[in-house]
Amino acid sequence: MIVPLAVLVVALSVALAAWAAWYVIRDRAVVLRQLWGGAVVEGALVVQAVVAGVLAAGGGTDASGVLLWGYVAAQLVILPLAAAWAFAERTRWSSVVLAGAALVVAFLEFRLLQVWGTFA
Amino acid sequence: MTDPTAPAAPDPTPARGTSAATATGPGRLLVAVYGVLAIAATARGLYQVATKLDEAPLAYVLSLFAGIVYVVATIALAKGWRTLAWVAVGIELVGVLTVGTLSVADVGEFPDQTVWSGYGQGYGYVPLVLPFLGLWWLWHTGRAGRTAQEPTAADL
Repeated sequence: MIVPLAVLVVALSVALAAWAAWYVIRDRAVVLRQLWGGAVVEGALVVQAVVAGVLAAGGGTDASGVLLWGYVAAQLVILPLAAAWAFAERTRWSSVVLAGAALVVAFLEFRLLQVWGTFA
Repeated sequence: MTDPTAPAAPDPTPARGTSAATATGPGRLLVAVYGVLAIAATARGLYQVATKLDEAPLAYVLSLFAGIVYVVATIALAKGWRTLAWVAVGIELVGVLTVGTLSVADVGEFPDQTVWSGYGQGYGYVPLVLPFLGLWWLWHTGRAGRTAQEPTAADL
């Protein structure tokens, strides 16, 4: 797994979480600009999925395919689902949902690296 | 804080089934957490059942069952299907307490690879806390529905 790319994903998603958390503190709902922020994270995830696919095809990991792609898929669907769910709520709780989802993406990145064998 | 009642609440009397008394405000977060757990547990259960069912059939079928219960709870809470939500969240509570206790006490060949093992230890004990929050939230929103939804301090 490309470590710099993983660092980028974690940095972006933690930044999004912090942004949303700031909105929680200020008692505001998710705004459209934050969804664009989510799209940036999602873009990085798509790039990572493609890179992982190429590397895995070249035998870059002995991780079980199903397990690996399960994590990749889960990480890809979390933000869009959470963003849609959060955006329909117009209270601070929408920001809590977005912040939580962004943290889940960061956590899944950690698990993904474990599954890939980066830490082994 | 300044606006405790959700302005977008579609119906002023959400007592029976009308969308989302259980899915607004804090319920928004509750459903989201349920959703994440539903994905995590179902994916794990499917993976275990599909790849290594013969290693520990009981544990892996239980794992998948737990995932399905979370999916049902998520949908029921999101849609405001109160009865179904009560049942699903109730099953979860029984499940996490039973499997948790059996796995800690190490009775027989009991699974140590489900969401509910060790009281949900592998998931930051979220599976243990969640059913209590879920039941409280169902009770709370049910009561609010019956008393014409007075905005109270408890709305936060």
